[in-house]
Amino acid sequence: MSEEVKWNKTISDVNDGILSNLGKPHPMFYAAWIASIICVIIGASTWAWEISVGIGITGKTSPVYWGVLITDFVFWVGIGHAGTLISAILFLFRAKWRNTVNRSAEAMTVFAVITAGLFPLIHVGRLWLALYWFPPLPNTNNIWPNFRSPLVWDLFAISTYLTISLLFWYMGLVPDLASIRDRVKGLKRLVYGVMCFGWRGTAKQWHHYEAGYGFLAALATPLVLSVHSIVSWDFAMSIQPGWHTTIFPPYFVAGAILSGCAMVYTLLIPVRKMFRMEEFIRPEHLEACIKLTLLTSTIVFYAYAVEFFVAWYSGNAYEWGVFEKRAIGPYAFYFWVMVFCNCIFPMIWWSKAMRNNVAVSLVVAVLINVGMWFERYNIIVSSLAEDFLPGSWGHFQPTWGDIGLTVGSFGWFSFWFLIFCRFFPIVSMSELKLIMPKPLSKKH
Amino acid sequence: MRSIDSDLRGLEDQREVFVTNDQPFESPAKEFVPGPLYKNIEEVIPELAESQEIQDASAAKKLPVDRRDFMRLFSVSAALASTACVYRPVEKAVPYVEQPKDFVPGVANYYATTIDRVGVVVKTREGRPVFVEGNPEHPLSQGSPSIMAMSELQALFHPDRRVAPQIQYGTNRRGDANWDEVYDRLGVRLKDAKKVGFLVKGTTGHGVQFYKDFLKNIGQSEDNLYLYETNGIYNAISEAHRLAFGIDGIPRTDMRRTKLILGVGAEFLDEGVAPIFEQKSWSVGHTFRNGAKGRFVQFESRLTLTGGKADERHVIGPGDELAVTLAVVDSLLKRSEAKGTAAEKANIRAVVDAQRSLIDSTKQRLKLSDDLLNKLAGELLSRKSLVQVGESGAISPNGTLVQLAGIMANVLVGAYAERLQFFDQGWFKSPGRAGDIARFLNEGKTYDVLFVVNVDPAFTMPASSGIADILKGRSIISMQSMPCATDTYAEFALNTHNPLEAWGDEELVAGFWSLQQPTVRPVANSRQPEDILLWAAAKMGKPMGFEDYRSYLRDKWKLVYKESGINKDFETFFKAIQRKGFFVSQLSKRDMPAFGTVAERFQPLPLKSGMRLIAHLDSKLRDGYGADRPVLQEAGDGLTTITWDTWVAINPNKARELGVKYNDLVVVKGPGGSFEASIYPLPGLHYDTVAVPRGRGQKQGLSRITDGVGVDPLVALVAEVDPLSGDPVTSGQTVEIIKTGRRYRLAAMQKHNDIANRRDIMPVYPLAVAVANVRKEKDLDDVPDLYPSLAPKEGDLRSPNSYLFPDWKASTEYRWGMSIDLERCTGCGACTVACDLENNVPQIGREQVLIGREMHWIRVDRYFSGPVDNPEVSYQPVPCQHCNHAPCEAVCPVYATTHDQEGLNVQTYNRCVGTRYCANACPYKIRRFNWFTHKWNVMGDRPIDRNPRALNPDVTVRTRGIMEKCTLCVQRIREGKHNAKQQGRLVFDGEIRTACQVACPSDAITFGNLLDPNSRVAKNRKDYRAYLLLNGKPELGEYGLKTLPNVNYIAKVLHDGSEGIAAGDGHDRSGAPGPAGGHP
Repeated sequence: MSEEVKWNKTISDVNDGILSNLGKPHPMFYAAWIASIICVIIGASTWAWEISVGIGITGKTSPVYWGVLITDFVFWVGIGHAGTLISAILFLFRAKWRNTVNRSAEAMTVFAVITAGLFPLIHVGRLWLALYWFPPLPNTNNIWPNFRSPLVWDLFAISTYLTISLLFWYMGLVPDLASIRDRVKGLKRLVYGVMCFGWRGTAKQWHHYEAGYGFLAALATPLVLSVHSIVSWDFAMSIQPGWHTTIFPPYFVAGAILSGCAMVYTLLIPVRKMFRMEEFIRPEHLEACIKLTLLTSTIVFYAYAVEFFVAWYSGNAYEWGVFEKRAIGPYAFYFWVMVFCNCIFPMIWWSKAMRNNVAVSLVVAVLINVGMWFERYNIIVSSLAEDFLPGSWGHFQPTWGDIGLTVGSFGWFSFWFLIFCRFFPIVSMSELKLIMPKPLSKKH
Repeated sequence: MRSIDSDLRGLEDQREVFVTNDQPFESPAKEFVPGPLYKNIEEVIPELAESQEIQDASAAKKLPVDRRDFMRLFSVSAALASTACVYRPVEKAVPYVEQPKDFVPGVANYYATTIDRVGVVVKTREGRPVFVEGNPEHPLSQGSPSIMAMSELQALFHPDRRVAPQIQYGTNRRGDANWDEVYDRLGVRLKDAKKVGFLVKGTTGHGVQFYKDFLKNIGQSEDNLYLYETNGIYNAISEAHRLAFGIDGIPRTDMRRTKLILGVGAEFLDEGVAPIFEQKSWSVGHTFRNGAKGRFVQFESRLTLTGGKADERHVIGPGDELAVTLAVVDSLLKRSEAKGTAAEKANIRAVVDAQRSLIDSTKQRLKLSDDLLNKLAGELLSRKSLVQVGESGAISPNGTLVQLAGIMANVLVGAYAERLQFFDQGWFKSPGRAGDIARFLNEGKTYDVLFVVNVDPAFTMPASSGIADILKGRSIISMQSMPCATDTYAEFALNTHNPLEAWGDEELVAGFWSLQQPTVRPVANSRQPEDILLWAAAKMGKPMGFEDYRSYLRDKWKLVYKESGINKDFETFFKAIQRKGFFVSQLSKRDMPAFGTVAERFQPLPLKSGMRLIAHLDSKLRDGYGADRPVLQEAGDGLTTITWDTWVAINPNKARELGVKYNDLVVVKGPGGSFEASIYPLPGLHYDTVAVPRGRGQKQGLSRITDGVGVDPLVALVAEVDPLSGDPVTSGQTVEIIKTGRRYRLAAMQKHNDIANRRDIMPVYPLAVAVANVRKEKDLDDVPDLYPSLAPKEGDLRSPNSYLFPDWKASTEYRWGMSIDLERCTGCGACTVACDLENNVPQIGREQVLIGREMHWIRVDRYFSGPVDNPEVSYQPVPCQHCNHAPCEAVCPVYATTHDQEGLNVQTYNRCVGTRYCANACPYKIRRFNWFTHKWNVMGDRPIDRNPRALNPDVTVRTRGIMEKCTLCVQRIREGKHNAKQQGRLVFDGEIRTACQVACPSDAITFGNLLDPNSRVAKNRKDYRAYLLLNGKPELGEYGLKTLPNVNYIAKVLHDGSEGIAAGDGHDRSGAPGPAGGHP
């Protein structure tokens, strides 16, 4: 990819084009927004039902004590992964293509992590206890959280990640918010003015901004690796066959990036259409995103294979029992959906023509999202259902409670993401301007 | 108190005579500390509420209310009324002004009584029963209650118990009445009646005499009394003995010293003559113990719990029991060493010769080789052996003849007098009377007033027997402790006492009396049936001279007292009996008559062809008596693990042949009708067997627990009785299985039935290996613990280098452990029932069990292995293993599950937030989560509030969102430790018994202190066969999951067909053998 994006736009064209979302949106936007609200209502009523009756409205049972809700949790944390990868690591590597997609990817990260954060609260079934145990408050009884528990690590990992992602995203927004402030009047001007902290765009401010952004990028980079590693420890630290493996951290990180990139692609296509961003989010950016997805897909493929190999090579009957049943047992359907969606279908992207075929790529990206959801479902459900003692084996069947909460989470995520798309610059104007051809060299 | 104990010493000596031959019964683990003198329940538990109301009332009168006070009160009440219009129930929680005698709040009182023909001790707290334990001194229960006796607690406090008697007014409506009205009307009804009859629950006690006395008193014939016992084995055995020897009674089976049992349809581990007693005696003689293990060969047509424990099992067709037993008799006769006199042999030979064609055709059909039978005959004659035939679960037309054939076999192997104790030490009394039921069905219609007492003929007799016609045309007085189908026919539906509230007695063994006495004030305005009769008789002007049944019983016990020759006054004697619960008067001795001529009575009915229905008693609900108890519905069947439903068990290969699968709904069409139920392919059944449990499918509207649960298989039958015993036949009629194409899921608790090639879960040792590795008591000190670093040592519970499980100062006094002997476990599920009742474990209903959410803290895993047609059956009760490296403890984010200093893995309910990570991390998957706030029973849309009075006050009730699991009955541990501390000592071994241990009829479970090297549990842990589940073989350097549980298992021993005594008998057996060990 060339150093500079080649197009014939001026800086004011950038502002006009990108901020066109503040004007009257596409009808598709309203359709999507209403759909997301309906989903949120479904999710909220399911949650209300659960709070009033009990977590038993979901399909969880003995021995599958974790089910769809933790699948959703890991799924959304995974989605939240790509944002920081694109914004922080690619920033540090100076991959210029990220500049058109990083804003929406970061927004996706923030909303996905917020969505994910809801699930532990839903999952315990007694929301009102959350305050009791969530913060590690030193109290008179000296009851601290159990720092040996991966769930406590998880709490810290995710909250740190959310904090850094939020700061990183918002910091990038500040100059752009100032641009909006300069264009709007009245109350809006005041609101955007407050939100951009009175950004003036002075050289000193830019100097501090650049330094701070770089530091945050450096801070966020290890988090990309740590968050999902720690999420994977929720599983790997127990002695459950199918969970207790050392490959889990890299495997989870690769999977998270895969699902995150696929989700970025899945979101960019409609957003590009809805807010007429085709001019800015260009095929070469999308293709770069696809290449990253393809890379992680192969890593995930390798991880699946290694998992099976190790399970077989270990000679451990319990370990192999879980994997054998995963592939040919009662959960085989989910397994093969996962393999085909995450490993086989993406192979089509080795062809450049297919990479540039938006329709095909969108289908594959959506399938990867499906596949990654099933991957988590597989890991959680099929490992738990049939582990050590055959007498304890059971079967997991999702219920309407599970489906309602999952649908609700998608609605909740989309709702916030659409609001973001409607009122904030979808593409980072300030960063785009940096990589634009110099105005002087522009020919009219 | 002490003086009475010394009085009793004489009684105890007699008991020794009764139970001791050359080897005492295993001594009861717990020294039962008798409670306070039982006098009269009113004295012990004064009715609080009444006196308090009086106090309240008098206080109200004295209230000085002047104008200002009135205005104050007026304004305050107006304000309150406008803000809170919620009805607040008046709660009276006033402490005792004067402490009642023999009553300390929080401390349990124990009362000895007899329930379900088992001697039990009822633990009561603050005047209400909370648990039914076995009476450790009672020779027939030896410390274990029966499942039915334990679950009486739920019946006692059942929410659907009627609280008023009902009388039919006018033509259709039946309404609530008060008791005075009942006595009046009953008196009138009796005065007008021409013929009055009684159908009463079979009993061996003075109840029979009472009904006879009552009938005589009102001028009726004594013959109008019919005893009804659903378990047909009593009548079949006693009738067979009457035919063979001319004497009544049932021999007392002693399997403690048998080396070989031949069972033909034997069900002594399911529903035998005296289930607890027989299971105890089996577990002593036929599980590996002291280097010996008796052999048990079983022929049966359906898989039973008994057959599951057989060392060698052969499958025969339904109804072939007779021919197979005769074939064995034939083989025995051929041998010169056969016991019995020449005359007896001739009598037996006459029968066998007459049935030669039957024997030969059956042998051919079943491919029973002469080699097998000859070998068996040789073994039977060369060892101390016993032949157990039986069809207690279901009676076939030849039921009595099967018993007769069994008697012949036992005569020939010389089992009488030694293994079948008939004459020397008393025999079992039959609670039923042969011919009574047939007589009732014939004569029933001649009565105009019929009393039905504590039995439910409308449900338990096949509809084709015409029971409905008998009940319809008469004035029925139904006296039941729970609503039942017979009530719907009744003019008087009277609510009577639960066994926990009632007086009664049983003469279980001739000359051996057990007393039943109330343990609680009647909770549901019920009456004792006998009291109702006494008072009605008084109303009709024919008083019997007794104030109530208690005084009647005392009167009868005076006779027992006189016979006993006890040198004390009667009051002392009776008080002592009330405390002990039983009394051995004169154990009758009779001479053994010779086997008589029976050939002409030996007329077997021909077998039917095709698939035949065996409608057997359910292992938990029996004939339906226990159906309204959720704990029994949910405990599930031992072999199928199915709860809340009726299933149709057929052979899996036969199912394939018929094209039906598990959960396929089929119509079972018999000669009398048809019913619909789902298929359960059960290994080990004969291809012609269709086994369906009874007890479910009760009439709608009787109880919220039974509504909509299962079907009644008896509807498929036509009327047929065993011509000799007169019992209705429930097995052997041809049925057809018709596919419906629909499916109906059975709520089976266990979803996977084989062991998935994971033999390390359940290792087995061949007998020779087990015998060779018997460890002597004195060598045990040198045996390392199962896991070396777990060996009891000062301070540390954990292995030193495990940073996830930090070291801390552990108790140097106690480390609690449990040992479960899989060799002894019969899969009966009594542990599960006891645990549910002791620990307030909720029952959750069919729909939740289908999802897999049953809450049992101890589940019994059942595995089939080997060929489908005749599998090996293994059981593994799994409670929380109380791991020292507990995977659950490391992962809980809030320290809700932790290790205590005595090795227990403890759960802090109010700290649990419900992440459920602990349950995922548990490799045994025995943690239970409260998905909802479970009511007593959540049957989908029919929630029933848990009756708080039926709960154990020592155990917290858990609400939703909380993880729970086995605590090793921590409340019992605390109580035991407290008692010990009060006396300045450590807890004795066996002083604390967990609920599952109490309930286990074969003493498979041992609990105790692992730090005490002399405790039985510590010794069991050093048994050669002991292992830790999923912990590999440390001696081979395989550590498995290294969870290091405090619960260990003792592996099964596979009988190789040898003598099974091998070198065992020669071993040094110093020290008393432990009751629950299987330990040298």
